[in-house]
Amino acid sequence: MTIENKKGWISWFNPFKYGTDRWMFALHRLTGIALGLYLIAHVWETSNILNGQVTWDKIMVDLDYPFGAHYGPFILSLILIVAVYHALNGIRLTIVENGLMLPKPYRPEFPYKAKSLRGLNNLLKIVLGIFMILISAIGVIFIFTGVIV
Amino acid sequence: METLVLKGFGEVVKTVTFRVRRYDPEKKEIPKYEEYKVPVQKGMTILDGILYIKEHLDHSLSARYSCRMGICGSCGMIINGKEKLACQTQILELGKDLIKVDPMGNYGIVKDLVPELSKLFNNHQSVKPFIVREEEEPKSEFLQTPDQREKYAMFTDCILCGLCLSACPTSASDELYLGPQALAQSFRYIVDNRDLGFEERLNVVDSKHGVWRCHFSGACSEVCPKGVDPALAIQLLRKVMTTNIFVKYQQKGATRGPERKSALGVS
Repeated sequence: MTIENKKGWISWFNPFKYGTDRWMFALHRLTGIALGLYLIAHVWETSNILNGQVTWDKIMVDLDYPFGAHYGPFILSLILIVAVYHALNGIRLTIVENGLMLPKPYRPEFPYKAKSLRGLNNLLKIVLGIFMILISAIGVIFIFTGVIV
Repeated sequence: METLVLKGFGEVVKTVTFRVRRYDPEKKEIPKYEEYKVPVQKGMTILDGILYIKEHLDHSLSARYSCRMGICGSCGMIINGKEKLACQTQILELGKDLIKVDPMGNYGIVKDLVPELSKLFNNHQSVKPFIVREEEEPKSEFLQTPDQREKYAMFTDCILCGLCLSACPTSASDELYLGPQALAQSFRYIVDNRDLGFEERLNVVDSKHGVWRCHFSGACSEVCPKGVDPALAIQLLRKVMTTNIFVKYQQKGATRGPERKSALGVS
């Protein structure tokens, strides 16, 4: 009798030993789920405006001071970084998943490093990574100081 | 106790522990790990280690292997968390004293390290991995230039070891997903200039569990022991599919060469 040996969805978050693209896939999934949950929370949060200004102001203060300290800006910064990563990696995936910026079929040579995961794809990762750092930095500075750099 | 030494290898360098996942179909128990101490000689592969266990320590251990040189693609396993061919992985190169050997994931287990690969072969079959032509028996060869051959040549190296499906995170959660192997092979035949089966393959490849399910995590290309790069094939296949919406993908079918006859007069 054979038994199933499925890795299951939990293995999405096991990117070890498979290279950068696999790490980015795991992070993309993770940030996607996080953003989905955030969206639900966000709709709930903004819907509170229907309960009048007093409730709204209280919710605003509560969300800015969760767990008894001023963690609001940190959480907001995290959400921003998550969203920026998801958006920029989404752009990269849109490009490479349509077969653009990938090498032509080539002759595999030992030690068989896959060229589709390197080359222009890597360049794309670096460029979008720099963008991510820049956008996140501007956003985080804005969240903490209110100054647009 | 005197350690047994295998012939044809160098001197014993060290002893490593093999932690092998065991599953016996007759015992109705869940798979569990068992440990074996194996003296490692220079040049020993994981497969040699498993065969050492089978010969000297535990005869009931099962593994599938055939050629021992990375051609047949039978001995795919998960070695220390990464899919590898056991016959191509040197124990000393891993540099670890504990080696964890698991059967490939996303397949069934027949026994111990033997995976049930019918899913792989069925998926491979479903994309029609052959040149589709109207003629039953061509009388002469189809003409092809070296440049036309280069377009698909790298994907012909696939040995159907099934490591890519085991590494693929989409296969892990979607049982019906065709998998990198089948999609790479469908691309190999679609871009072959002799082929005329693009429309026939569409209903399998261009489906919910087909080419659009890939999320380009690149794990398949990372573990491929032959450098086939299935991830590249899938993305290029998607390019063909997306351009097909705007401009119909034309397969002309290669022209025939001159009709030939053998010395016996039989074509």
